[in-house]
Amino acid sequence: MADNIPKKPDYKLIGQNYVLPDLVAKVTGRAKYAEDFRAEGMLFARLLLSPLPHARIRKIDASAALAMPGVVAILTGEDVPKPQQPPGGDAAQRPNTVPEVALATEPLYQGEPIAAVAAIDELTAAEAIEKIKVEYEPLPFVVDPMVTLRPGGPNPRAEGNIWRPPQVQEFKIPAAAVKDLDEGRIPFLEDTPIRWQVGDVDAGFKNADYVLDETIVHQSTGHQPMEPRTAMAMWRNGKLLLYGSTQSVARTVANVAQWVGIPEKDVVVISEYTGGGFGGKIPGAQTMAIPALLAKKTGRPVQMRISREEENYIGRARTGIHMRVKIGFRKDGRITAMDMCVIGDCGPYANQGDAGTVGSTATALYNPESIRFRGVSVLTNTPPRVSQRAPGGEQASTMLEPMISKAARHLGVDQVAIRKINAPITGTEFGPPPAAAAGGGRGAGAAAPAATAASGGRAGAPGGPPAVAQPQPAEQGRATGRGQQAAGQVPGQQPVAAAAPAGGAPRRAFFTSAYLREALDKGAELFKWEERKLRNGQRIGTKVTGVGVGVGTFTAGSIAMDGLLLVRPDGKLCVQTGIGNLGTGSVHDCSRVAAEVLNFPWEKTEVVWGDTSKNLAWSSPQAGSQTIHAHTRANHAAAMDMKQKLQEIAAKKLGGSPASYSVANERVSGPGGGLTFAQAAQEAIKLGGKYDGHEVSDDLNAMTKTSAAALAGQGLMGVARDNYGRKGNTQTWVASFAEIEVDVETGEYRLVDYCAVADCGTVINPRGLAAQIHGGGVQGFGQIKSQKWVYDQRYGVSLANRFHYNKPPTILDIPLQEMLWAAVEIPDPQTPVGAKGIGEPAIAAGAAAAICALNAAIGDDYLRRTPATPSMIMASLDAKKRVDEGLVTHV
Amino acid sequence: MATIHDVMPAFELFQPASVADTLSLLDRHRKSVWVLAGGLDTFDWLKDRNKRPQVVIDLSGVTELSGIKSTADGGLEIGATTSLTEIANHADVKAKFGLLAHAAGLVASPQIRNQGTLGGNVSQDTRCWYYRSGWTCYRAGGNICYADTPTSINREHAIFDASRCVAVNPSDTAPALVALDAQMVIRNASGERVVPAEEFFIGPSTDITRMTVMLPGDLLTSIRVPATWANAKFYFEKVRDRQVWDFPLVNVASALKISGGKIDQARVVVNAVAAHPMRLRNVEAALAGKTQNEETATMAGEMAVQGAQPLAHNGYKIPLMRNLVRRAIRAEATS
Amino acid sequence: MTAPIQIQTHEPSAPSRRSFIKGVIAAGAAVSASSYMFRGSETLHGQGSLPGSVERLMTLNVNGQQRRVDVMKQETLAMTLRYKLGLTGTKLGCDRSECGACTVLIDDVPHYSCSVLTHTVRNKRVMTIEGLESADGTLHPVQQAVVDEQGFQCAFCMSGFVMSTVGFLKTNPNPTREELAHGISGNLCRCADYNKILTAMMRGADNMRQRT
Repeated sequence: MADNIPKKPDYKLIGQNYVLPDLVAKVTGRAKYAEDFRAEGMLFARLLLSPLPHARIRKIDASAALAMPGVVAILTGEDVPKPQQPPGGDAAQRPNTVPEVALATEPLYQGEPIAAVAAIDELTAAEAIEKIKVEYEPLPFVVDPMVTLRPGGPNPRAEGNIWRPPQVQEFKIPAAAVKDLDEGRIPFLEDTPIRWQVGDVDAGFKNADYVLDETIVHQSTGHQPMEPRTAMAMWRNGKLLLYGSTQSVARTVANVAQWVGIPEKDVVVISEYTGGGFGGKIPGAQTMAIPALLAKKTGRPVQMRISREEENYIGRARTGIHMRVKIGFRKDGRITAMDMCVIGDCGPYANQGDAGTVGSTATALYNPESIRFRGVSVLTNTPPRVSQRAPGGEQASTMLEPMISKAARHLGVDQVAIRKINAPITGTEFGPPPAAAAGGGRGAGAAAPAATAASGGRAGAPGGPPAVAQPQPAEQGRATGRGQQAAGQVPGQQPVAAAAPAGGAPRRAFFTSAYLREALDKGAELFKWEERKLRNGQRIGTKVTGVGVGVGTFTAGSIAMDGLLLVRPDGKLCVQTGIGNLGTGSVHDCSRVAAEVLNFPWEKTEVVWGDTSKNLAWSSPQAGSQTIHAHTRANHAAAMDMKQKLQEIAAKKLGGSPASYSVANERVSGPGGGLTFAQAAQEAIKLGGKYDGHEVSDDLNAMTKTSAAALAGQGLMGVARDNYGRKGNTQTWVASFAEIEVDVETGEYRLVDYCAVADCGTVINPRGLAAQIHGGGVQGFGQIKSQKWVYDQRYGVSLANRFHYNKPPTILDIPLQEMLWAAVEIPDPQTPVGAKGIGEPAIAAGAAAAICALNAAIGDDYLRRTPATPSMIMASLDAKKRVDEGLVTHV
Repeated sequence: MATIHDVMPAFELFQPASVADTLSLLDRHRKSVWVLAGGLDTFDWLKDRNKRPQVVIDLSGVTELSGIKSTADGGLEIGATTSLTEIANHADVKAKFGLLAHAAGLVASPQIRNQGTLGGNVSQDTRCWYYRSGWTCYRAGGNICYADTPTSINREHAIFDASRCVAVNPSDTAPALVALDAQMVIRNASGERVVPAEEFFIGPSTDITRMTVMLPGDLLTSIRVPATWANAKFYFEKVRDRQVWDFPLVNVASALKISGGKIDQARVVVNAVAAHPMRLRNVEAALAGKTQNEETATMAGEMAVQGAQPLAHNGYKIPLMRNLVRRAIRAEATS
Repeated sequence: MTAPIQIQTHEPSAPSRRSFIKGVIAAGAAVSASSYMFRGSETLHGQGSLPGSVERLMTLNVNGQQRRVDVMKQETLAMTLRYKLGLTGTKLGCDRSECGACTVLIDDVPHYSCSVLTHTVRNKRVMTIEGLESADGTLHPVQQAVVDEQGFQCAFCMSGFVMSTVGFLKTNPNPTREELAHGISGNLCRCADYNKILTAMMRGADNMRQRT
């Protein structure tokens, strides 16, 4: 490794395994998830869902239901607040569509909630739901993006069938290109809303020694967290207390306020434990608004537990992708050109950015010498899509990596080597060109980087969820003072794209650090790649072995969040955090940084979380792999602020300069002696001002300011916004290796061995990291192997509404021996602790490695869609040619 | 279509302690009665509110319906409510009729096997997702098959014996019992009848609304496995998407009597390809007297799928069934 | 209308529950564990009784305690545990025998409590996650293994996995990793943290062998 690679300092807590403070509560059943809360007089709500994929509700007659003893209230679309459209301006620049509301009056997918009943018990609510009479006016519908895009195909909404932000418009494939569709190919569309190009693509293909041109289909899949999204709501003194299942705590308040139609200050979100989310529980949802509105209407607490089938509809899903891609390779495997046309299926409402992210991810995986990207977000009458672990990133790896493997086999290049020769390094530029990125400004893995979608993908959906990730374009403003590494040249790669032209024109986004090549090397060693790859194609009886490599990448951290710490007069350190507790452990892992900086014993550190009335700091969403980056930074900043204050207090009290005092072991000590943290906290209260939180920096988020004000005077406060700045975009890579065994007489296959190596900077919690890497990997394997959505296109209804139909992976899908993992462990130079996020790329690499291993066993030309079920493999192997459903989605 | 799920409507619950009481209850409430054994099929119907019996009779207290006994002829009599776990682990079943133990051990998941019964496993309704969603198809008394239209998703459906309805029997133990020449003991208020397993299961051409010969008032009390096939050479294999929970895409159960490398007698049964387990009589006949080798196995596989009629999405079942039958006949077969 | 039957209940003594009660009282409400689920149902849903049918009032043996409880005929054990007995450690992930989050032991055997009628477990011993810990607060060896190995992420599936493991280890106290995987395969984890779960549960098996 090069000498300029940053070294990791010696930490006491960071990088060590520890017992998560919430683990005993979980393992004894004492941990309270949303559905575990009870309140006196609590009512139960149940939903009435639309049986039709698109209809106008002419009339709802709830009189028979309301007349039932025990039924307390009924809520319909007429009762729920309508999100405000931004006023004024140019009409063409305003959304032209109705955004999603809590209860629909024009349901746009089968399973969309249209009414809710609150009753004294669930049984009564369920009986009442059956007594509600609804008159529907059926409207045209379409559940397959390739059907609505055909000339004359039905539109899912009156306004059209695609997003051309800020509006929904009609878009049809030109008649001349219909032949492509009929032959199972996506045409290279021209007038797509997202279009950008870097480098000379035509020249790139001319220079190529080998060109692949494929059409690939990736299904939508439900998030399906174990905990369906229950919420319990009650109103107290004009405030809404919402006990909900959400990924983020701080970031849920605004959404609940919007859905319910009340100011943010009147919302208290309580969510101490959340049973998984994977992107589906980022924002707060209508399932929170409905009990809140029913509680308001009835004056009683209301709990709404939704069924697994309802979760399948309301719980959202990954964007399905149809892609045509042409890739040119040089003899050595280097990619000279990529030409992509990507169609994303977003469901009926918001413009989910996966389609665009597929393009930027391609650049972050392969740094192609040239690339042309065209993308379009299509609407269908299927449940709304939202970010699902590596939104767009997982699809990119799953769809592109098998082509890289195929090319390597064709060119006689090693699978690890072809990925290394194309791998980006620190400083490599990626994504759309600066002109296209301006305004949109999203990195790889973020929502649509789009030239013509510059006003932002979310327009038109004010009620919708926020973007998952919010990486900024390369920042020029706030330097960290750390050396920035120049964009070096990768052996075998020509410099790609021009550096910032003179005159200060914006530069294309670039990476703060990238060690994919190191990850591949480490993985190859750990997995014994050189030895194992000899087993490729080996057949014993009816079982054939395949070994594959796959890489995944995603944006890995936001910045500029807040940290809030308090040392109480008893000497205890409290970390007040707005991070949600969805299972990743980041709420605790990030808190460890504060204790580390202050050299404070973890056992005496109390993490305060899970209730916005408990004076918590503003937080990033727990999504997009942002948290570990954003909040190791924010807590570092707050801890540095506290350290400074400790030194100042000691200097004031004991004499000498603040700098002459050091902080360790619950004391601040120096020339004049020392103070315990407890004494310092008491001094801080005496001193007041900034020391006890009565004065705080103006750049803090309003939530943090409110929390600080409430805590002021209770101890020594450390509070700061992360102003460390950052040059470049933070991105993580994972390189995964899989061995698969296929029974060629049945099509069944299993994962024999798996190894994943992450370039995610400094490791905070090794066991937590391993869980992310392996859990993500197995989720990715599920995307490949069995997980699916199924729609009957004639009726527009979902068929795979239950686990035994939609098939998430099980414990028998993992290898028999322990799965391997490692981290590159090179700190990111642009963030104080050096940690980068990890959640997303793990799933992408897992899926990619599995599909590449599968192809290595059975051949490169059978699989062009997910999931690769035994039935598809059986049919193809038997026919000795690809047998699948072509472009049809959700089979 | 039902729009609310997971809250069962009210019913009256009886917990008789004897078969006699059960039969009299069945007779008395004939119009709207449901027999509850393990409940794994039952609760789906009730939670989806697609079936609303007024009376449910829980068999868990009828101890005489549970347990495994040896019979005088060297066979076994298995009570209808004996759990699949008990069957999978039972020493005598494993020793003599490993085929059944193996099949029972591959059903669904451990918890389901702990609770699910042999009687329930063979009596379960089809899993066609249109039918289970409460659509009024032929099987539900309507006049259409939703699983057999140009847009239907019918990957799991039938390649044999479809007659208006294209649903399949999803049971793993059913083909094993057919292969073992098991006898189903059925009682009702007017007496007892014993039906060979092969005839117990019926297709849509016989009765489109039922999967078995059981009529209202009937109670399956036990399954007799005669000594006929004890210690034969068995093969059972189930192919599915996931190795737990999932129903078979296709399964195969076979029993061979072999002497001197030649097959004297064979039973080969495949399920999940038709509305009933398919006993392959033509294959069995062709196997008699043949040497057990790859050639014979291949012949059996090819013969097995003759006449198969795939739907839009289940063509794979033909090579899969062919290969499974092949594997069942192969000399080195291990499963 | 007749008055609903009064139900005798025992509040679990978990600290987190106490603190929640305090919190809610402070907010101006109170918590009780009386029957939320089917409170009004007796009169609403016509559950009189046909001669010979089951009595609604029953005694359940849960975690070694006798609990008197009024149970609807169609009520599942998961609902009784969660909504009438306040034992919310048993989770409902699917309510359809397809995820295992509701797994409890009935006479030491793992069952999906979402798919068991409460009336069928009369005279049987029901054990939930709340019953594993010793009276002195010592964790069960399998629970301790989860703590030691940081098993699980969101942990919504955890009680089901732990109960399945405890049940399986009664039949096979010394399993291989593969045997254990099959033994607890009726439990789904959507964090897909299976690798670490298996490691933790193998350690649990080890802990149990050492403790006995």
